Amino acid sequence: MTEVTIDTSISTDPSRRARLAEFWFYFSENRGAVIGLVFFLFLVVLALAAPLVAPHDPTIQFRQSVLLPPFWQEGGRLEFLLGTDAVGRDMLSRLIYGTRFSLFVGVIVTTLSLTGGILVGVVAGYFRGWVDTFIMRIMDIILAFPSLLLALVLVAVLGPGLTNAMIAIALVFQPHFVRLTRAAVMAEKTRDYVVAAKVAGAGHLRLMFKTILPNCMAPLIVQATLSFSSAILDAAALGFLGMGAQPPTPEWGTMLAEAREFILRAWWVVTLPGLAILLTVLAINLMGDGLRDALDPKLKRS
Amino acid sequence: MKKLTTLFAATALATLMAGSAWSKTFVYCSEGSPEGFDPGLYTAGTTFDAAAHTVYNRLLEFKKGTTETEPGLAESWTISDDGLEYTFKLRPGVKFQTTEFFTPTRDLNADDVIFSLERQWKPDHPWHGYVSGASWEYFSGMGMPDLIEAIEKVDDMTVKIKLKRKEAPFLANLAMPFASIMSKEYADKLEADGKMNQLNQMPLGTGPFAFVGYQQDAVIRYKAHPDYWDGKQKIDDLVFSITTDAAVRYQKLKAGECHLMPYPNAADVESMKADPNLKVMEQAGLNVAYLAYNTTQAPFDKVEVRKALNKAINKQAIVDAVFQGQATPATNPIPPTMWSYNDNIEDDTYEPEVAKKMLEDAGVTNLSMKVWAMPVARPYMLNARRAAELMQADFAKIGVNVEIVTYEWAEYLEKSKDKNRDGAVILGWTGDNGDPDNFLDTLLGCDAVGGNNRAQWCNQEFDDLVTKAKEASSVEERTKLYEDAQVVFKREAPWATLDHSLSIVPMRKNVEGFVQSPLGDFAFDGVDIVE
Repeated sequence: MTEVTIDTSISTDPSRRARLAEFWFYFSENRGAVIGLVFFLFLVVLALAAPLVAPHDPTIQFRQSVLLPPFWQEGGRLEFLLGTDAVGRDMLSRLIYGTRFSLFVGVIVTTLSLTGGILVGVVAGYFRGWVDTFIMRIMDIILAFPSLLLALVLVAVLGPGLTNAMIAIALVFQPHFVRLTRAAVMAEKTRDYVVAAKVAGAGHLRLMFKTILPNCMAPLIVQATLSFSSAILDAAALGFLGMGAQPPTPEWGTMLAEAREFILRAWWVVTLPGLAILLTVLAINLMGDGLRDALDPKLKRS
Repeated sequence: MKKLTTLFAATALATLMAGSAWSKTFVYCSEGSPEGFDPGLYTAGTTFDAAAHTVYNRLLEFKKGTTETEPGLAESWTISDDGLEYTFKLRPGVKFQTTEFFTPTRDLNADDVIFSLERQWKPDHPWHGYVSGASWEYFSGMGMPDLIEAIEKVDDMTVKIKLKRKEAPFLANLAMPFASIMSKEYADKLEADGKMNQLNQMPLGTGPFAFVGYQQDAVIRYKAHPDYWDGKQKIDDLVFSITTDAAVRYQKLKAGECHLMPYPNAADVESMKADPNLKVMEQAGLNVAYLAYNTTQAPFDKVEVRKALNKAINKQAIVDAVFQGQATPATNPIPPTMWSYNDNIEDDTYEPEVAKKMLEDAGVTNLSMKVWAMPVARPYMLNARRAAELMQADFAKIGVNVEIVTYEWAEYLEKSKDKNRDGAVILGWTGDNGDPDNFLDTLLGCDAVGGNNRAQWCNQEFDDLVTKAKEASSVEERTKLYEDAQVVFKREAPWATLDHSLSIVPMRKNVEGFVQSPLGDFAFDGVDIVE
């Protein structure tokens, strides 16, 4: 890979299309990854089309039909396919709208921590010296706290709510990206092509972001997918602890928390949001696995 | 061979003795750890159950299952004609518990009573600040420091308490857990040994059960007090098994690991009733849950606005969704089981259209407000967030936009007292002494603004009635005044009264003699296990 990027940072190897074909070849080798991807795309469509797909408004309370079971159980009604919750809201509609929040949280948190992590990480890895020491010690301090606990403290300080929960989780995820970027940058920095670019007169910024960074992206992409699922999980956990999304937002973790007391009496209010979280996170993790297979040169068969 | 026979005989004897020494152990799955074992220092019911109702007695006690008082450690008392002097005659021959850590040498006398009350009252008393941050919350919360003029020892068995003004609920106050009577002899010894803290960790009193040991967050053990003045208890050992999760408590009860549990999940009550091994006691609780508007802030300073919002709340829906029906919608600020409850008051009916019209007439449009939801379950409100969500939907129907906010419990209580608080607060109250004063004055009086009066509501007419009722001596006169106060309350609507909950106590079938307290206490004197 290094040989082909010797003179410029923009790779001139096989055309974009061919690279994509290669990527897909390795990605589709992993059947789990493909299933994960399909399910993920399904969720994205569901989230985008939520108002069209959902049978009811997720916040409307049908006071006459509280805690109805799913339609196949005795007492269930076709009107409410997956039953209703403790205040009579349609479970199916809430789950569908919940995808919006979960994916939204994933996207925002990953974007925030990825951009922040790359910026800080590249600076640390490129300049080294006291800048590096300073940045990495701060990251070590953040890493020293259990991530969920730190997120909880941050949300407690900032005040509960989905936005603050996202900020807190993004901050907690930051060190992973910083470390990864820094390590990759340090490894690349000594390569010949970088030295060549430097000799050719490239400035610091160009070296950092145009020459080195594109060659560090593979592990970052994999880490990003994994963070995506962890972000969803952490947001659900915060919601479960009452610190995340506030009512009547149909966020899965919040739904789970509200339903706790019915675990013996009405299984569907507890099980369904839990299943939704499980399936989403599983699908994204499988997808991340496939991405790693496709992007990591060490795993490629020649 | 001979050796073997001896051994055999010894074993047989040991078995026999063990059999005859079989003791009855009662296990109570309590809902939390006590804050300490000195009931004067704390306000939580959990602490009172663990300390006040087991180890200690008071001068007067609440008659089991009622809010009426009966003689406790005071055998009789007289009140002077001006209502300012109370003379208590102590019960003779009351023995303190003998435990591993202390052996008392004398019976209860006037010194113990004076010690127990004075330490909470006099700031220069050596025991006033014996634990750091001791605030004697109840004693000061009930206004005792300003009320008591003097506590005097008349003779060894007689104590006289002089008051500065007439106060009708005073006797009932003395039956409350904070007025538990401690042993001065024990306290003196701890003081001499320099171990004053131990009073709050290893309690010793005259009560039905003697303290044996406490393992933090796990278990508290007691044994029956053999020389208890009212006779030894039928059970020999009492164990508090601390189990914070209601679902786990239920599982333990089902498995027979405990005999009785407090505060079940409302959703589990149906299946508890169906279980042949369990029985469930129900009683109207002495409590109220409310939504307190901040009446000092616009537009909630207008009666019409508060009335309109009250009319928009569907209380029945809250009772159904939060309590699964185990509560009744509330009309008055005091529960229906309390004397002086005014039956003639009609509740605000649920009429969203009328409410919407009223809001428009009051000139309020596009109203946005905050509703504070408690983060914890209390007997009067099992799930405040759910109740808040229901109100949110109800208010949306009349065009009022609601944001639900919540804080950590201690912070919630503190922040909600603020006079400039933004938003209406969901909160409630469980009566301490069965007196209407404990609700009407404590929660709505002018003195309580910035404190327990979460509505920040000071109405002169109401306050006059309640203050007059406090000083009136006959129950009939007080009843009349409190009934009038409730009329004023309903007219002015500082709160939306939400519900009075049932208190539900599930227990094993073989438990006998447990009496539910309307005050929400769990006391185990008189309880027995039948096989």
